Amino acid sequence: MQSLTRLNHYFIRYWRLYVPGLLFTMISAVFAIAVPVVVRQAIDSLPKFERIYRQFEATAIEHPLYWDFFWTILIFGLVIIALSLSNGFFTFLMRQTVVVASRHIEFDIRNTLYEHLQKLSNSFYHHTKTGDVITRATSDIEQVRRYIGPAIMYITRALVIVIAAITAMLVISPTLTMYALMPLSLLAVSIFVVAQLVHKRSEALQRQYAQLTSRVQETLSGIRLVKAYARETTETQAFEQESRLYKIKMLGLARVEAAWRPVFLVVVGLSEIMVVWIGGQLVADGIITIGNVAEYIIYVALMTWPVAAFGLVISMMQRASASAERIYEVLDQDPDISDTSLTDPLIQTIDGCVTFDRVSFRYQDGLPYALEDISFQVPAGQSLAIVGRTGSGKTTLIDLICRLYEPTHGHISIDDQDLQKLPLATLRDSIGYVPQDVFLFSDTIGNNIAFGTVDATEDEILQSSLEAELHETIVEFADGLDSEVGERGVSLSGGQAQRTTIARALIRNPRILILDDALSSVDTKTENRILEHLRRRHGHHTMFLISHRISSIRGADQIIVLEQGRIAERGTHESLMESEGLYAQMYQRQLLEERLEAIQ
Amino acid sequence: MRTEKGLDGQLLKRIVGYLMPYKHWVILAFCLVLVVSFLGPLRPWLISIAIDQHIVTGELDGLYLLIYALLGAIVLEGVLGYANAYFTQWIGQQAIYDVRVRVFRHVQKQSLSFFDKTPIGRLITRTTSDVEALADVLSAGIVVIMGDMFKLLFIAAFMFSLNWVLAIVTLGVMPFMVLVTMWFKRNVRGQYRETRKQVARLNSFMQEHVTGMLIVQLFGREKVEMKRFEHINDEHQTAQLKTVFYHSIFWPAVDIIASTAIGFILWTGGVSAIGGALTVGVLIAFIQYCRQFFEPIRNLSEQFNTLQSAMAGAERIFDVLDHDQSLPDTNAQNPPTGFEGEIVFDDVWFAYKHLDDGTPDWVLRGVSFKIDRGQNAAIVGATGSGKTTIISLLMRFYDIQKGQILIDGQDIRTIRIKFLRWRIGLVLQDVFLFSGSVYRNIALDNPDISLEQVKQAAQAIGAHQFIERLPGQYHHDVRERGLSLSQGQRQLLSFVRVLAYDPDILVLDEATSSIDTETEHMIQHALERVLQGRTSLVVAHRLSTIRHADQILVLHKGVLREQGTHDDLVDSGGLYQTLYELQYREQQLMMDRTE
Repeated sequence: MQSLTRLNHYFIRYWRLYVPGLLFTMISAVFAIAVPVVVRQAIDSLPKFERIYRQFEATAIEHPLYWDFFWTILIFGLVIIALSLSNGFFTFLMRQTVVVASRHIEFDIRNTLYEHLQKLSNSFYHHTKTGDVITRATSDIEQVRRYIGPAIMYITRALVIVIAAITAMLVISPTLTMYALMPLSLLAVSIFVVAQLVHKRSEALQRQYAQLTSRVQETLSGIRLVKAYARETTETQAFEQESRLYKIKMLGLARVEAAWRPVFLVVVGLSEIMVVWIGGQLVADGIITIGNVAEYIIYVALMTWPVAAFGLVISMMQRASASAERIYEVLDQDPDISDTSLTDPLIQTIDGCVTFDRVSFRYQDGLPYALEDISFQVPAGQSLAIVGRTGSGKTTLIDLICRLYEPTHGHISIDDQDLQKLPLATLRDSIGYVPQDVFLFSDTIGNNIAFGTVDATEDEILQSSLEAELHETIVEFADGLDSEVGERGVSLSGGQAQRTTIARALIRNPRILILDDALSSVDTKTENRILEHLRRRHGHHTMFLISHRISSIRGADQIIVLEQGRIAERGTHESLMESEGLYAQMYQRQLLEERLEAIQ
Repeated sequence: MRTEKGLDGQLLKRIVGYLMPYKHWVILAFCLVLVVSFLGPLRPWLISIAIDQHIVTGELDGLYLLIYALLGAIVLEGVLGYANAYFTQWIGQQAIYDVRVRVFRHVQKQSLSFFDKTPIGRLITRTTSDVEALADVLSAGIVVIMGDMFKLLFIAAFMFSLNWVLAIVTLGVMPFMVLVTMWFKRNVRGQYRETRKQVARLNSFMQEHVTGMLIVQLFGREKVEMKRFEHINDEHQTAQLKTVFYHSIFWPAVDIIASTAIGFILWTGGVSAIGGALTVGVLIAFIQYCRQFFEPIRNLSEQFNTLQSAMAGAERIFDVLDHDQSLPDTNAQNPPTGFEGEIVFDDVWFAYKHLDDGTPDWVLRGVSFKIDRGQNAAIVGATGSGKTTIISLLMRFYDIQKGQILIDGQDIRTIRIKFLRWRIGLVLQDVFLFSGSVYRNIALDNPDISLEQVKQAAQAIGAHQFIERLPGQYHHDVRERGLSLSQGQRQLLSFVRVLAYDPDILVLDEATSSIDTETEHMIQHALERVLQGRTSLVVAHRLSTIRHADQILVLHKGVLREQGTHDDLVDSGGLYQTLYELQYREQQLMMDRTE
């Protein structure tokens, strides 16, 4: 429960809603509790009226007396209606304050969480699953909200009603109160037990559901294999097994869920019976009136939900506490890459000379080095191409330039300033990055291009789309720049999406341009045209280029060949061809491949 | 009432049809629910008698009897209510299990052309969440609706038997209750839809930005994205607050209406009590009925909604079940011992799909060839020439449009699909791994293949060593993170699998991706081992494969252009020579260099 106390400052922030809210809660409870009192008085007055009426039956005052009683009883009825209207009004206000406040807090927590997520570095996202983060931002926040809103509302109202009702009942008859409350006290306990069981079992059911889903997913993904090996029967059997387990779990849940109503019913019913039985004797003994019995019956009905709420709220708080813990787990994570005391905030721009000085890097202690002893210098305005097999460390090297990770050993500097000294915002603003995995946001194509800029004009967007050879595509779209690209860019072809990411980087006019295998989905002709555009920019930015196609990197000022995290060869295209090493081999192979492609 | 597309009788009938195997249990559930809905309204009636005949008159002797009756009623209602709630779930889950398995079997039975066209996600939804929606109708739905209706009837009946004036007064308030409930349901349903939409927006924003956080950070967009998030979050909050508003009105309104009814009852009842026409007990009973009345009304409106959404799910499920695209299978007897292994393609024409003008988009055009028993045949050709299609057709993943495919002189359409695929071993280019152990991935849960056999096969292939080095050896979970298998190792596993299954004919789609030399050697060895003594058909990417082939089939744009051995074709100056130059020459060079 400790994590819940960390939420207290939110209550203080919204005291303007909570204080009146709790007040309304109490007022509405008082009105609710007044109804049975009126009912009792009405019922008790009935036999009196009847007796008096009979005495004066067939006399002159019979008629006025009847109307007198008629109006009196009408007033009782109206008072009840008025009371319940007031009760209803304040209940309305109560919900509109307390529950609304909880929604505000939910809003705040979610913003805080997202803001924090934006600060966390790549390594956090590396070891945390996307689904896990999303669960925390959605269902965990919802659990917490239930505590700060409904739970608090229920418990306040419950306390007021229970205390008021018990007081009213005690005044009438301590004995009857004791008997009536005996079964009710069981309710809180049993509701708590049932709620816990339901929660536990529905979680187990959820897990089994996921299991069932992944089973289907797997069979269908591997359907070719299943069919080729005629494994349909075993797959069906396995599926039946999972379905059976699901059914069993479902029925397990049903067994406890089916208890909800009967528990209420029996407990409240027992209280009622107690009231009639013991109350009946007390009425016969003349200790209480018949109206009191009716009053008690209503009290019992009135207290049912509040008493059950005690059990429910405790269970809610438990869940909220676990959820709050999970949320704070994220919020307590310090972003491991951020500006520090070493940072010089005065550096606003860079020139773009990138130097690696004996840089080594590994993702975790104990893991082998992903990069080892890398040194190079790219003067501002020049270009460096990196080639190498998958897994040789090309992307890791790029990540280090962007300061997504800190090097384990060695130094990276830009314009002779250590990367640590550069404000993160300055560094990132100076980089135009085209990642290997195309990632677009579900927005218009224009907004996707302008993503990294402030107030880009349409001309600028079109200019960069020209350079990325995307212009013709945009013109073809019915809505032009306003065409939606769909979720993660699904409505674009692979090449179109990739060119969009190139335009997105170019529009920033970055000092450092990074193309990580950024032309893989683009055909050779378009690739050449894009490279031509880039060449015109030569000297305007430092460029890092990763590619598998030698044709696209042969013009680079420097080329390094990475092999298992180390620089195996370095030089220019000509010098590397002469040395007849790995690079030359790769080149030969690609010439052949190109010929093959040409024939097809 | 709005006309809802979902509620048509035909559909409902079909859904209810799934309950037929459990009809006796359903009848029992109906009886239970009948008793339960009678017992609830019985209690206020008993209490009224207790008050009028015993408490008011002071004759406490008979009170015990009524208390026992009340106690009995409450316990019975509790027990039967519990039994009924569980029971309806039980029936529903049995039926749902049947539906689910049926959908799964049906989907699995479909031919590959069905899977080519249908996204897997959609099929998963059909077998999981759509079936789930159906569960609501099948389990509780119908019985609960009946129960609520009975309950309303019983309450009305009891009220009329006690006092018809008060009964009419109480019932007079009920239309308001129904109206308020309907008003609420209508608004809240729209609002829920809006809320769900907002929640989905929020979730997909989260999903998108958590996945693309790198881009957000690298492009320095934190501030702008924060604003956008706040905006979405704000709209989500607005939608939620509107829902809160409807709830804030609804719950008090229900209470007000119930209390108003009580007020009216007190008044009319009180006035007639003066005349002696009404007793206190009856009055109290009516106060209780007022509260009891509301629950079934609310439940009914809820049930109606569930029914509608379930209908939508049911429609989607039936849509799948009604469109059978599975290939016709025969009941023919299997050949006694398996295949001899002679394969003949006789003027085979095949198209996956039709062009826009309705003509078939031919992938194979009149392909004919014969592979003798025990021969190794290699198919070569450029990408898209139809190589893999030939393999799929031999496995009968698809049926051909024209011509015949024969094994041992028998048309494959007259052989049982299961037998055909069992006797033909397939090794695919991209190796799919199921979750679970290495052993499971090799044996594919076939109980006839023991761990011992798998080990033997692995030894023969040369995969035993690397499997032994895995943390759990043959029980190592292949999807365990960090220790996933390399592409080469996966390929070796698929060779082990095919050897363990010991088929008569081997069909193989060689991987194009180059692997390191060591694994390359192992695969080379594995290949030779599985080809031994079997008729085989290989889509070849390896030089050694085409060199050792007894027969090479050169495919170009769906037509079989050349046929013969490597030595026959390599200097013929034809298509093969060009292909060889392009695809295999390099390997030749590499081999020369390493040697």
